[in-house]
Amino acid sequence: MSKVIKKRYTEEADYGFNLRTAREEARRCLLCLDPPCSKGCPAGTDPGSFIRSIRLNNIKGAAETIRSNNILGGSCARVCPYDRLCEEACSRTGIDKPIQIGRLQRFAIEQEKAFKMKVLEAPKKKKPFKVACVGAGPASLACAAKLALEGYQVTIYEEKEKAGGVLTYGITPSRLPEHVVAHDIKTVKDLGVKFVFGTKVGRDVDLNDMDYDAIFIGAGLWGDKLPDIPGVDKEGVWTAVEFLKTARVEKTKFKPGENVIVIGGGNVAIDCAVTAKLLGAKNVRIVYRRSIEEAPADMKEFKYALKLGVSITTEMAPAEVLGQDRVEAMAFTSRDGVSTAKFKADDVVFAIGQKPEDMTAIAAVKVNEKGEIKATKSGKTNLAKVFAAGDVVSGGKTVVEAVAEGKEAAESIIAYLAKKEGVK
Amino acid sequence: MAVKKDLSIEYLGVKCENPFFLSSSPVGSNYEMVAKAFETGWGGVFFKTVGIFVADECSPRFDQNDKNGLPWVGFKNMEQISDKPTEVNFENIYKLKRDYPDKIMVSSIMGSTEEEWRELAKMSEQAEADLIECNFSCPQMTSHAMGSDVGTNLELVEKYSRAVAESTKLPVIAKMTPNITIMEPAAIAAIKGGAKGVSAINTVKSITSLDYENLTGMPVVNGVSSISGYSGTAVKPIGLRFIANLAQCKELEGVPLSGIGGIETWNDALDYILVGARNVQVTTSVMQYGYRIVEDMISGLSYFMDERGFDSVDELVGLALPNLVPAEELNRDFKIIPKIDLDKCVGCGRCYVSCYDAAHQAIDWDDKKRRPTINDNCVGCHLCLNVCPVKDCILPGEIEWKEGRTPTEIKVKHYYD
Ligand SMILES: Cc1cc2nc3c(=O)[nH]c(=O)nc-3n(C[C@H](O)[C@H](O)[C@H](O)COP(=O)(O)OP(=O)(O)OC[C@H]3O[C@@H](n4cnc5c(N)ncnc54)[C@H](O)[C@@H]3O)c2cc1C
Ligand SMILES: Cc1cc2nc3c(=O)[nH]c(=O)nc-3n(C[C@H](O)[C@H](O)[C@H](O)COP(=O)(O)O)c2cc1C
Ligand code: SF4
Ligand code: SF4
Ligand code: SF4
Repeated sequence: MSKVIKKRYTEEADYGFNLRTAREEARRCLLCLDPPCSKGCPAGTDPGSFIRSIRLNNIKGAAETIRSNNILGGSCARVCPYDRLCEEACSRTGIDKPIQIGRLQRFAIEQEKAFKMKVLEAPKKKKPFKVACVGAGPASLACAAKLALEGYQVTIYEEKEKAGGVLTYGITPSRLPEHVVAHDIKTVKDLGVKFVFGTKVGRDVDLNDMDYDAIFIGAGLWGDKLPDIPGVDKEGVWTAVEFLKTARVEKTKFKPGENVIVIGGGNVAIDCAVTAKLLGAKNVRIVYRRSIEEAPADMKEFKYALKLGVSITTEMAPAEVLGQDRVEAMAFTSRDGVSTAKFKADDVVFAIGQKPEDMTAIAAVKVNEKGEIKATKSGKTNLAKVFAAGDVVSGGKTVVEAVAEGKEAAESIIAYLAKKEGVK
Repeated sequence: MAVKKDLSIEYLGVKCENPFFLSSSPVGSNYEMVAKAFETGWGGVFFKTVGIFVADECSPRFDQNDKNGLPWVGFKNMEQISDKPTEVNFENIYKLKRDYPDKIMVSSIMGSTEEEWRELAKMSEQAEADLIECNFSCPQMTSHAMGSDVGTNLELVEKYSRAVAESTKLPVIAKMTPNITIMEPAAIAAIKGGAKGVSAINTVKSITSLDYENLTGMPVVNGVSSISGYSGTAVKPIGLRFIANLAQCKELEGVPLSGIGGIETWNDALDYILVGARNVQVTTSVMQYGYRIVEDMISGLSYFMDERGFDSVDELVGLALPNLVPAEELNRDFKIIPKIDLDKCVGCGRCYVSCYDAAHQAIDWDDKKRRPTINDNCVGCHLCLNVCPVKDCILPGEIEWKEGRTPTEIKVKHYYD
């Protein structure tokens, strides 16, 4: 019999290091020249430096490196797909296996908190420019932090009651505990960034009427996306975003049905399946229309779901949601067209990608056919004073890339405002 | 904000940006190397020892030894002094001081006669070095008129120190060898001769390991090897001991000390400073990792000072000395019984094995539950605490007073890394 693990919804999926074990791991690091790991990090968190610091017992210096390079260093340490970023690049792989970079990063950031370090400080003297950021997700937080560090006055508008975007309303707390996100966000708040919650830009406020010198849009992908098949309007059918948000808000009060089917093959699908399982669903099945090999989810995450007892069915595409008013079952057809299947279901979660809401309600930005904002790599849109980055531009990538892009957009905003500085 | 402390310290009348210097060795042997070291943050450099004698080196000349797979516990070299022409070396010292006026250049010299020592001293001054260090301590010179054979001969130490001090107005430092039972007499001889500072240690005479292919030591040069100098982490405890001895020696009171041997991290440097060094020097860890390690020395020491509220390195010098006492002054009235945290214990049994085979059979072992308990045989030696692989699993617990002794207030260490 396979041994499945049982955990609570908020229980952490992974263990951390202590000083001794962290230094043991750092001792494996080869201290490479021009470290490939550092090049592998989109946000420039510089693992090559911080691991060296841990190895040389300069733990606070390690925390300083992480926090100064990546404002969401704590969250990234938990959720980055390292196996295709820094750890994939690690030279140690040529000997045995990569350095556990994410876990070392987690350790250093935990020390930052334990020692009550304040790595970043915004200048006392503020620049005479105001910037508004739409959304309090990773892209906006990174952009706002960078601007605040340069002395700009930044206000973030967030539709929801809390900051963090997907970090707070998406990823399961077992992978990303709330206190980790809260600590990262506090470092942004401590820089003097203002937050206005419960305010949807374009619905509740119009930034175009207000005296902001620049606007940054980091609104992510919060539009519904359901497939065009019969029965999707039935009760018990969820989009991944709604399902995860409900779980994050209601926590263990949220009770999914006994049989939950999650449709999709990305990390989001796995988060939904894991969430359902941890919240007490008995039979949780991920159904994906392609093969495991083609699935965008990380192997580490698949394994975790399997360990919890989630089953995975591949090469089956959803055909119809069955039932009266509420779902009772889900019908599928196989990729090769040979077979069909029907699985019992009390809840069906579609994790088949997200799309943006209507971004033109925020500003007259150009969008593509999927509704994603058209912006350059450095975050410039068709409007001189409007910038955008993160999922709303990329169509959905990773937290660390959203941080990198938010930081880069901040550079563009700084350059744009510098030109105006002479005028003011 | 990132903590940046002023780490500057006065050493022999010279203001140093920080106490972290490269020691005399290949890590500081030409212009480009030293320039890169300065750019990376080193406060000064003891340039590779210059002599009239130009070394002819063997190949290979290095070896390192490990402990359970952890490499570079110690490092052995069979190098002598500089293999570059004397004039080229002084020219480099001159150019480096000219191009990096705020950094400190120390000219390390070694003569084989009084005359040579005088000449090298004058050349150092002409090259505009800030300080001169006399290398009385290289243990693998091909001539017995040089190196540690000089350093263990008090008459020669005094004579050559005098020859150098008389030939220059620059402050003179005597670099001592650890291949001696006690270092104080040699240091006193150097000061008598006119040296103003003492640095220690140079390398320890050693054989790292044997080569079974050729039945000789490592490294193998044409089938044979030599006893030669050992350095790195393994020699740090020896270096600390000598610096503490010098710092506590009445006759040497006020003599600025420079600590060398096994420094790799800011803690290592701080250890030397706490036992009385105003300056620290590094070679082996730079050979292993490169100049960049100084960045974490600077940052780590800054954070430490910030955390403990120190404003200058000067305040740290010798702080631990009053607490280093002779064995006869230790309080022997009590024992501290270790406390085992059974929630942390992973059941490896190492504490039991060590305590049984090497201490006092003071641990009982439950072989069903795989958990240890300390019994009445415990003498409080803390072998178990040192051997336990789990952090904070075994820590000092209750204090027990030996029969007939009067309990007093005592200090106990609580935090173990
Ligand atoms: C379930 C799930 C799991 C994921 N797992 C991982 C993972 O393990 N690792 C990883 O690296 N990445 C993961 N990702 C991807 C990652 O979370 C995103 O790439 C990242 O969060 C994008 O950041 P963002 O700032 O662009 O957008 P978001 O995080 O989506 O933040 C956008 C914010 O803007 C707010 N907003 C939107 N419109 C408005 C408006 N008009 N007015 C005010 N506020 C508005 C939203 O409420 C939200 O708070 C996952 C994504 C999902 C959905
Ligand atoms: C390869 C090598 C060459 C050295 N050459 C010299 C030298 O020329 N002059 C000298 O005074 N010390 C020399 N030393 C000794 C070092 O300066 C230093 O005193 C010793 O190695 C201990 O410090 P460490 O543990 O940091 O290496 C040499 C050491 C090594 C490893
Ligand atoms: S690539 Fe790997 S081994 Fe090299 S410095 Fe980075 S973590 Fe260390
Ligand atoms: S370290 Fe450099 S000089 Fe020495 S043997 Fe290797 S390549 Fe040659
Ligand atoms: S050495 Fe430590 S972990 Fe091992 S049995 Fe003893 S107390 Fe437990």
